[in-house]
Amino acid sequence: MNINRVKALAFKEWREILRDRLFFSLAFVVPISMMFVFGYGIKMDVENIPFAILDQDRSAMSRDYLHLFIDSRYFDYQGDVEHEKEIDNLIADSKIRFAIIVPPKFQETLLSGRPIAVQSLIDGTFPFRTSTSKGYVAAINNAFNTQLLTAYVTQRMGITPEQATALVSPIKIEIRYLYNQEIKSIWSIAPAMMMFILLMTPPFLTALGVVREKENGSIYNIYSSTVTRGEFLVGKLFPYVVISSINVVILWLMAIFVFSAPFKGDPLFFFIASVIYVTCTTGIGLLVSLFAKTQISAMMITVVVTIVPAVLYSGLLVPIASMDEASQFEAHLFPAMYYTDIALGSFLKGVGMEQLWTRVAALLLYTVILWVASYNLFHKRVKA
Amino acid sequence: MSLMARITEGKSYHWWSRMAAMTGKELLQLGRDTVLVCAVLYLFTLDVLMAGGVKMDLNQGAVVVHDSDHSMASRELIYRFQPPYFKLSGEILNEKEGIQLLDQGEALVVLDIPPKFQHDLLQGKPAAVQVQVDASNTVLGSLAASYSSQIIGQYGFDAALQRMGLTGESLETVPMLDDRHRVWYNPNQKDAWFMSISELLTVITILAMMLPAAAAVREKERGTIEQLLVSPLTPMQILLPKVISMTLVILLGTALSVGLILHGVFDVPMKGSLPLFFLVTALYTFAMSGLGLFVSTMSRNLAQAAMLVIMIMMPIILLSGAWTPPEAMPEVIRQAMYFSPLYYYIEMAYGILLKGAGLAVLWDSLLGLTMLGSVVFLFGVWRFKRQFG
Repeated sequence: MNINRVKALAFKEWREILRDRLFFSLAFVVPISMMFVFGYGIKMDVENIPFAILDQDRSAMSRDYLHLFIDSRYFDYQGDVEHEKEIDNLIADSKIRFAIIVPPKFQETLLSGRPIAVQSLIDGTFPFRTSTSKGYVAAINNAFNTQLLTAYVTQRMGITPEQATALVSPIKIEIRYLYNQEIKSIWSIAPAMMMFILLMTPPFLTALGVVREKENGSIYNIYSSTVTRGEFLVGKLFPYVVISSINVVILWLMAIFVFSAPFKGDPLFFFIASVIYVTCTTGIGLLVSLFAKTQISAMMITVVVTIVPAVLYSGLLVPIASMDEASQFEAHLFPAMYYTDIALGSFLKGVGMEQLWTRVAALLLYTVILWVASYNLFHKRVKA
Repeated sequence: MSLMARITEGKSYHWWSRMAAMTGKELLQLGRDTVLVCAVLYLFTLDVLMAGGVKMDLNQGAVVVHDSDHSMASRELIYRFQPPYFKLSGEILNEKEGIQLLDQGEALVVLDIPPKFQHDLLQGKPAAVQVQVDASNTVLGSLAASYSSQIIGQYGFDAALQRMGLTGESLETVPMLDDRHRVWYNPNQKDAWFMSISELLTVITILAMMLPAAAAVREKERGTIEQLLVSPLTPMQILLPKVISMTLVILLGTALSVGLILHGVFDVPMKGSLPLFFLVTALYTFAMSGLGLFVSTMSRNLAQAAMLVIMIMMPIILLSGAWTPPEAMPEVIRQAMYFSPLYYYIEMAYGILLKGAGLAVLWDSLLGLTMLGSVVFLFGVWRFKRQFG
């Protein structure tokens, strides 16, 4: 490998990128604006769920009970309805996500010491939000049950309310959220976004850069020159790795200063791991560019091989541990998952090489495989 | 027939035959790019299939236990951490080990049961159980926290009732709420229904912008646009066939996806009218192709077009409510959602496919999409005509 030729090629590529002003600025503007948009936009906290009430009892007790929902910050009270039919339409039109129905004789039944069923109707369109809403409803019902039972026990056993409380809820649950005490979702999302953006943009830039030469024929200059395959690949891609590494730093700073995510890990380790990651994702672009003949097909393949794993198999929206075995296996085939662990580990857990070396090794292996495969697939001779 | 009428008839005949020829040309050109055809096919079938296999709920989260009591009571509590939500993955001897497992991501929850747990429980003294949750992924963390406190709370409640001698029959004499819920449209909460539809809508969004944009920019980049401009074709005859042919391709792909994957594999109920769904999809594709045309006027080559498409697509998807429901957004962003065509489309697509809603319920979304779509499409056409007119 002749260093001078590599330098010349890298310089030529750099010039070409620089002279295409729109492309050059987009190479930085796209990642930055993606970070802004997602950082401010994705909220996984389920709050302000709009709901309606059908109170068929209208007693003091039913009002007390329903106020537990109205006063909760998780719910957003939209009003009362008169008939169950109305609920149908409101849910179908997405005006409310759930409704709670208090049956007639609610107060009478409970005061006479008998259990009663309370029904909630929940919109199941978005399963994740459905199960979270169900959890909230269950928690409120449990709280009300504890109140009921405490009152009942106080009365029946003739003990003080304090004793009754201890009797009814004998276990105190202490939940400690590690790494993110206030469960701010942006703290998890900002590092995960770095994974997402750095998986998507480098292959796009690279694939288009290489296929453009193929499509407009300037690749024949390379074919007929003395530049070897290795020199071409390294020289051509070096500028893209540099651009992506600059993006690493920009996004990193944004995560810390714009979204105030804490960074507890080792900066040097994280930077090196990130550069390996972008080298790897650049390699994806390279491989794609060897298969595609036109820029549009390069674009489409890049979308296919990056967006899907970035969204589905990275742990960004869907935790890997929650997947079925087939999906878990597929997740291990993509580099995104490993970098998610590295990013979350470095930002929130403050762990480093010692705990994460397997992930870094996986990324390195991935990078080597991609580059070796590309090297072997790239020919200077046109297929007949 | 007067001469004038014959000329106009001839003209309109030519107009249509040119349109047909150009549409045929676009389809042929697309069909010959094998890689592209494969990518489109992949997106509409395998991609939607893969997305449907993903579950958003907590599934077998790893729980490790630090049990300092080793009693009947502690064991009974531990064994309530069962699939589907949790799975027990071992016991640890000290707290440090727990932190280590959490650090490495081997455990999601560490359950810490204090000594004398059973003793306290029987004595009626409050016993404290500690749950440590890895909240580095907030979704998982809060689900794990919510489910574990439900499990432990229920256990405590059961233990209390048992201690008071209230079990079985005698429970009928205790005032209590019985929590019953009915989940509509997706009673078993199959994630596959939601995920596969969501993915299909995303695919349609990407392609509806990318394909027309690429078809137009390619002509610019290769210089073939000059040939078209010196031909008798009007700018409308150049751009409309691009939009029409790509819409056709997308509708075909959607039909394939709906029939083969949504219906065939995932059994999505398809409660509403399918013709209405395809009508809405066609409308949406047209609206988005306006944005594609706009992109094609802004860029000189495909690389630029691709970047611009991503730039425009991100906020559209984000503001659509696909990932974050409107109610969870800040007020300002909630207002901005009315400017995302996908917002109306998602509302209608889920409405028709899952909820069986018809025009009576969805008319406002349809009106919104039509208005916004016309503005966007006409804007794209205007830019295109100005550049090539």
